[in-house]
Order: sequence, then C-alpha cells, then structure tokens
Amino acid sequence: MAENFEQHSDISAADLARLSQEAQAEATPSTAKIIWSEFKADRPAMAALFIIVGFIVFVMVGALFINTPKMMETNIMAYFNQPFTPEFWLGADSGGRSVAKQLIVGSRNSIGIAIGLTIISSTFGICWGLISGYFNGYIDWGMQRVYDFMMMLPMTMMIIVLVTIIPHYNSVTLTFIFSIFYWEGTSRLIRSRTLAEAEKDYVAASRTSGTSHWKIIFREIMPNISSLIIVDCTLSFAENIGVETGLSYLGFGLPSQTPSLGTMISNANDPNNITQYWWTWLPAALEIIILCLAISYVGQVLRRAADASQRQGAAD
Amino acid sequence: MSLIEIKDLKVHYPIRTGFWNRITDSVRAVDGITFNIEAGETYGLVGESGSGKSTTGKSVVGLEKVTSGSILYKGQDITKAENRRKLDYNRDVQMIFQDSLSSLNPRKRIEDIIAEPLRNFEKLSKDDEKLRVLQLLDIVGLDADALYKYPHQFSGGQRQRIGVARAVATNPKLIIADEPVSALDLSVQAQVLNFMKKIQREFGISYLFISHDLGVVRHMCNNIAIMNRGRLVEIGTRDDIYNHPLHIYTKRLLAAIPETNVNQREAHRASRLAVEKVYQEQQSKYYDDDGEAYPLVQISKTHAVALPEALAQQLATQEGEVQA
Repeated sequence: MAENFEQHSDISAADLARLSQEAQAEATPSTAKIIWSEFKADRPAMAALFIIVGFIVFVMVGALFINTPKMMETNIMAYFNQPFTPEFWLGADSGGRSVAKQLIVGSRNSIGIAIGLTIISSTFGICWGLISGYFNGYIDWGMQRVYDFMMMLPMTMMIIVLVTIIPHYNSVTLTFIFSIFYWEGTSRLIRSRTLAEAEKDYVAASRTSGTSHWKIIFREIMPNISSLIIVDCTLSFAENIGVETGLSYLGFGLPSQTPSLGTMISNANDPNNITQYWWTWLPAALEIIILCLAISYVGQVLRRAADASQRQGAAD
Repeated sequence: MSLIEIKDLKVHYPIRTGFWNRITDSVRAVDGITFNIEAGETYGLVGESGSGKSTTGKSVVGLEKVTSGSILYKGQDITKAENRRKLDYNRDVQMIFQDSLSSLNPRKRIEDIIAEPLRNFEKLSKDDEKLRVLQLLDIVGLDADALYKYPHQFSGGQRQRIGVARAVATNPKLIIADEPVSALDLSVQAQVLNFMKKIQREFGISYLFISHDLGVVRHMCNNIAIMNRGRLVEIGTRDDIYNHPLHIYTKRLLAAIPETNVNQREAHRASRLAVEKVYQEQQSKYYDDDGEAYPLVQISKTHAVALPEALAQQLATQEGEVQA
C-alpha cells in the first residue's frame, strides 16, 4: 500500500529532512509565543502578571520562615501597636499579634485554598460538562439531574453545617468541602459549549477517522473551548479567593488560630477597629482588591491570546 | 459482488410530544432505499435539500444510527458498531464533508489533521508518517510548507483538498463525498473535482457522490440515484437519467439546470414551465395517496423508476417513441 503512494507522488524519503525544515520555517507560532507577545503588547497586564507571580512566590516562601503558633500567641504588651515601627511593620491587632506576619501566612492560606479549589472544582466541572455535553441522550440526562440536585442544595448553609460537624478541619479539608459545591457553574457553562461543538463536522471527521470518544472529548473538543476554560478559570480563581474570605469573615471558614485574609478582614466587624485601628483590616482588604484586579487583567490577555480576532500583540 | 450493498435502509427520527414526552410520530429522513455501489465507480446520489441524501451518506460511513435495514460490506452488516470495529471499517470507508472549515479542527495543524486516520489505523513510525502526509499533500497539489499551518490559513479550495487528503490517507475503498464542492465557487469546484477524479484513477477508489448539482454529477458519475422525500424515485446510468428521465421529479431537477445559451432562453423557459405544470397537475399520478414515492419498478437492466407498473411502461414506450 505504501508503494501506491510512492508511485503517485514525487516525494520520497530522501526529501523528508529538507521538506520538514522548509515547513518548520513557515510554521505558525506556538500558543506560548502568542500569549507572550500578547503580554508584551499590554503593559498593565504584564505588571499584573509580575505582581501576582511575585506576590504568590513571596508569601509561599515567606510563610515558611514564620513560626505560626508562636506568632499567634497573645502578647498583651503589644495591644494595638502602631504600624511602621521596627518590630511591627504593619502594627499589631487586639491580641498584640503582628499584622504583617499574619498577612503573609494568611495570604498563603487563602491563596492556597483558592488555587486548590480552582484546580479541583474546575477540573471536575470541565470533565462533567464535556462528558455530559458530548454523549448527550441518557447520560446527559442523568448527569444533569445530579447537577440540578446539587444546585438545589443551599450552598452556604451546607458548608457551614459540614464545617461544624467535622471535628478537626484545616485548609485542606476546607478546600475539599468547598470543592463539593463549586463545580456546578463551570460544568453548565462547559456543557452548553460542548453541545454546540460536538455537532460540528470535525468531530464527525474524527469519528470516521477511528478516534476514540475520550480522545475526541479531551484532545479535539477541549482545545476548541480552551478560551472559555481559561477565562472561566481565572475568573473563578478571583472569585474563590472571595469564597474563603467571605466564610472566614462570617466565622465559618478557617479556625481562628489559623490566620487568613478573611479572619483579618473580620477585624473590621468592630466599629472601633474601623475608625481607630485601620491597620488591622485595611492591608488585607487592599491585597484582595489588588490581587483580584491583577488576575482579571491576566485573564483578559489569555482570552485575547486564545481568540485570533482580538489579538493586540505582534502578528506572527 | 458489489462493494457496498444497501438494503431497505431506514432512518427515522422520533417526534416526541405531550406531557409524557411519548413518541407520537417520526420524521422519515430515509425510508427504505436499496442500491449497490460497485468497486471503482462513482455513484451519484441526487436530490433536493431535506431529501435524505446526506443522512444516507452518514449511515453508510457509520455516523448515523440506522432504524432498520442493512448495509453489507464484505458480507457483514456494518450498521452494527461491533462489526465496524471488527472490520476496521472506517479504514476502508472515509468521508469528505461539505463544509471544509468546520470539518477541520481549527486547533490542529495540518500534519495532525491528515495523520489522524493514519495514527488510528496504521502504526507508522514518526518519519514514515510525516513522509506519507507530505506525499498526500503533494497528491492534492499542496506544498510541504502547509504541514505546520492551521486550517484558517488556507482558502476554501485548499481546505477542501486537505479534506480529500485526509480521506485518502488510509487508501480506502470507498469515499462518501457529501456535497464536497457546493460551498466552493465554480473555478475551484472544477479544481477539487479534477483532483478527486485523478485520485480515483490512481487509487481505484469508489465514490458515493452526494450532490444537488446535476451538472457536477454528470461530470463525475456513471450511475445515479435520484432521491425525493426519503425514497429513491429513479435509478439509472448517466444516459438513463439525463436522456430518458421518466419520473416527474427527475424531469423537474433536469429542467432546473440553468441554460447558458441565451438564444434558447425562451424555449428553455417554456419547457421548464411545462414540466412544472405537469408536476402541479399530476401529483397524484406520480406519488401515492400519502404523497410518497411508489416502489421502484425495473424498466431496463440499468433503469428503474418509482411509478406504478402500468404508468411506468406507458411512459417508457412514449419516451422510446419520442427518441425514435
């Protein structure tokens, strides 16, 4: 059979190296290159990227050098210590604990939970939506009834109940508890796009080419909805920082001995703190605003990179 | 023995209505059609939009769930998925799609697109595979620098040729061409069709050529089946269909071919209107009480038409007299 092709084409094995080199020269740039040129074209997004990466690395590494239980000990002598002093850069809270150190450890906890939650819930939601949308029929019906049931549960209340009945929980268990409830939005979004995508001819062409269902789902359809996935992931990451923060603020997130951005913002519950001791809550609040803004900037760049018609970076 | 034998193929889609969502009726997209495709020939399947020709093509390639009937290939009924798997059926039967842009995955490079069937059906080494892809590109007249590009960087005609290259990759015996050129302009149509003909000569491939363009079908096909409302209304050779059409639907289709000769515009228009008049007035003669086509009756060895026996004979003799 190979001879059949040899016969009707002038190209033989001898030309292979030369031709593939020629093709290489004409190749379209890779996705990574496109994303990078897109960042270069957008200065604020570049700054945002450096802020995010630098900050995450800083808190992850910095938290390793801080002895958390010792930091969280009450020190009555430093009761609401003023900020910008050599010992307390950002002052101290009502327990005399350093706000700066709490901010570092707290950011590590909150961002860690947000990253973990985003990875787990988005992965699950994407798989659920892709499979449900691709197979359609009874499988879709069953999977969507499970989805409907999960949507029906009052999310915040369920989380609070679960947090209360689990005796010892930390950031890891909390991440898993959140993940049970946060995949649904992603899955519906992905399913609706998959339904449209699975009807297209290239899926039919892959099936007649003998490609298996799973390979079609994850290697053919998923790359085609990657822009949606990227945008959804960045947005839900920004949102997930808020999830933990919100619950901790209400007092149902991390235990009070574990600092997090939420527990720090909950200092603002006290009118005294709001007016006089602003340093106990303002740094955490500013950090969340800056982080979420920076993430949405980066998300926009990724979206533009995924959609050729929106690109601002140098063409090819 | 024929390459593919289609026997009484039916594809019905259920219509669900009411509170319980019960099946109350069905859309009969394909309603009992029978024909054979011989090795090395081009079989034309012609009909208006919604006549079920694409559904037939998709059933043959295994993309559509068949309600009843059988499609025999190498003596096996390939409407069953396990038989398709056993035979590596899609290695031998491939498809060219109408919309060249949506049939190529926009996120994959041309090399990966053309190599997809090769990777699934033939385990080639990396170099052999790349060589085969380059040869395929050469056969459809594209340069090697297409290898690492994406589908949107090509024109419609080039994309359709990439689609042809993918279909030919495993050296199949039959290619279903579902309106392969109807999305292209005329000059590019000819280009793609000539590549398809060239490939047929060189590789001995059969085509099931689905089209509504009778001019293209005349250029490509030896045997033609006319489809209307899910059924076949006329089967015959190119000569039977174009020179001795019997069914009114075939006559209508032929009358609809645009005439480029300006001098005969009036005559052409008159004949078209005459055919249309017959169609409007004699519907009941050509279709049964439910408005569906009759079963086929054989007129000659190659020619069959969906009419009541008596009427078919009468029309055939009339036709013969006119010819004589």
